[in-house]
Amino acid sequence: MDETIAEFIKRTILKIPMNELTTILKAWDFLSENQLQTVNFRQRKESVVQHLIHLCEEKHASISDAAQLDIIYMQFHQHQKVWDVFQMIKGPGEDVDLFDMKQFKNSFKKILQRALKNVTVSFRETEENAVWIRIAWGTQYTKPNQYKPTYVVYYSQTPYAFTSSSMLRRNTPLLGQALTIASKHHQIVKMDLRSRYLDSLKAIVFKQYNQTFETHNSTTPLQERSLGLDINMDSRIIHENIVEKERVQRITQETFGDYPQPQLEFAQYKLETKFKSGLNGSVLAEREEPLRCLIKFSSPHLLEALKSLAPAGIADAPLSPLLTCIPNKRMNYFKIRDK
Amino acid sequence: MDNGSSVLAHLERLETQVSRSHKQSEELQSVQAQEGALGTKIHKLRRLRDELRAAVRHRRASVKACIANVEPNQTVEINEQEALEEKLENVKAILQAYHFTGLSGKLTSRGVCVCISTAFEGNLLDSYFVDLVIQKPLRIHHHSVPVFIPLEEIAAKYLQTNIQHFLFSLCEYLNAYSGRKYQADRLQSDFAALLTGPLQRNPLCNLLSFTYKLDPGGQSLPFCARLLYKDLTATLPTDVTVTCQGVEVLSTSWEEQRASHETLFCTKPLHQVFASFTRKGEKLDMSLVS
Repeated sequence: MDETIAEFIKRTILKIPMNELTTILKAWDFLSENQLQTVNFRQRKESVVQHLIHLCEEKHASISDAAQLDIIYMQFHQHQKVWDVFQMIKGPGEDVDLFDMKQFKNSFKKILQRALKNVTVSFRETEENAVWIRIAWGTQYTKPNQYKPTYVVYYSQTPYAFTSSSMLRRNTPLLGQALTIASKHHQIVKMDLRSRYLDSLKAIVFKQYNQTFETHNSTTPLQERSLGLDINMDSRIIHENIVEKERVQRITQETFGDYPQPQLEFAQYKLETKFKSGLNGSVLAEREEPLRCLIKFSSPHLLEALKSLAPAGIADAPLSPLLTCIPNKRMNYFKIRDK
Repeated sequence: MDNGSSVLAHLERLETQVSRSHKQSEELQSVQAQEGALGTKIHKLRRLRDELRAAVRHRRASVKACIANVEPNQTVEINEQEALEEKLENVKAILQAYHFTGLSGKLTSRGVCVCISTAFEGNLLDSYFVDLVIQKPLRIHHHSVPVFIPLEEIAAKYLQTNIQHFLFSLCEYLNAYSGRKYQADRLQSDFAALLTGPLQRNPLCNLLSFTYKLDPGGQSLPFCARLLYKDLTATLPTDVTVTCQGVEVLSTSWEEQRASHETLFCTKPLHQVFASFTRKGEKLDMSLVS
């Protein structure tokens, strides 16, 4: 086994937390049950890794085996990357999409290999009709860098692909081309949507974040809308602004629904607008050029935080549509200019 | 004078006798009076006891009469209530059962939530929902239709102008998809023994590719089948290619079989074709193998 491959597998396994190690190794399915049984996983991690590398050598692990392990690691640790969303567009009058996975893989690989002589392309299909693609980029003259790969999650027979934001930006056009041609599309466009949470991106892009539907079969009665008020409160005490509280609850429920919000970490607004002020003779209002500024909202769970703003009394309801349109418009990067 | 004292004594004795007898008669009178009083008391108590007994009897009788009168009324009320509950349950059941028709819905605060329940060959399969907001323009609020079904296209064509057409068209696509998926699932689960490799399929189940052998482990040649379903509203393929793996020229009998398989795949659902293979398998003419 090549030194570089051994080193790469070693570094990959070292990244894996001990409590996940057996699960990931089983999913990798490269080392046999018998081999795994010979490993004492209660040793110090370095010793376990040494033993595993030895076993991989016995089995002559190749770079594609190592790449598979890397993909599995990434599937377990999706949140370590920030994911971009690309949308592909079909040409006019295109035939029905008869997606053939084999054809797609061959086509995709060929396009990249023709352009860059050195590139490692690996595929791993998942049960949800998605294929994970790992690309380690090289050039005509340099070997692929296995430590800075790009990951793509493509949902076949949909126009959407999610890619890990790569520092190697120069390869993005080529990647886009390969995806578009291999999936028989015409054009590819980057959406203004980005997050660490691949599941949430998927829910937003496929509009699957609200899956509650009213049917006659549901036995659960319509949920009483709790106003968050203390039910055990003394009935002699009346909330002064109960009407207002109810209005806020209703508007919040209409805007955000009863379902859990998809998870995003930020929303960014790039403003390029002229200053608007009621006061006359303000220096800023007289400026000809538009003002440029960037506003960024950050949160561990941005949409849930926005949902709780009005009920908490921090903001007026209804919230600005620029904030509430995020899942619906499938954007969290906005450019706002004067019309 | 003895006579004097004796007379006095005699008189004294008589006096005491008289007072004694007075006393006695007084006592007797008082006892009698007491007796009389107790007697009347006894009479009174007896009378009271009789009255109370009579009253209890009367009460019991009247209560019985009451129950006898009330029961028929109450049972009528209970019967009415039960009848109403039964009716309500019936109506609820009918509303629930509507989804067996394939297309049902429930009014919501903003419009209607339509439920499309797909089926194939009498088997009830997945249900899909489309929540519509009744406004001008009519719009889809949210839905559970899979991403690869061309919902936006169908909506763009029909939603605003002809909602019936929209729903029926969507039903067509979803039922066809469900049917194709059912066939592919059945092939994988029921006839895995005849497949020599994994079934290649895509999300829409409109391209299926597999290799199979009529007698697994036997001498027959493996066939490669490629089924294309270009019509997304159909559950049968539009293009079928069956080839023999690794053999360029087939003998006549194999060629006949190959051609017949192609026809079978075009005309019958996938799992039914394989079912017929397993039935025929028992009668496979081994003379074909050469």
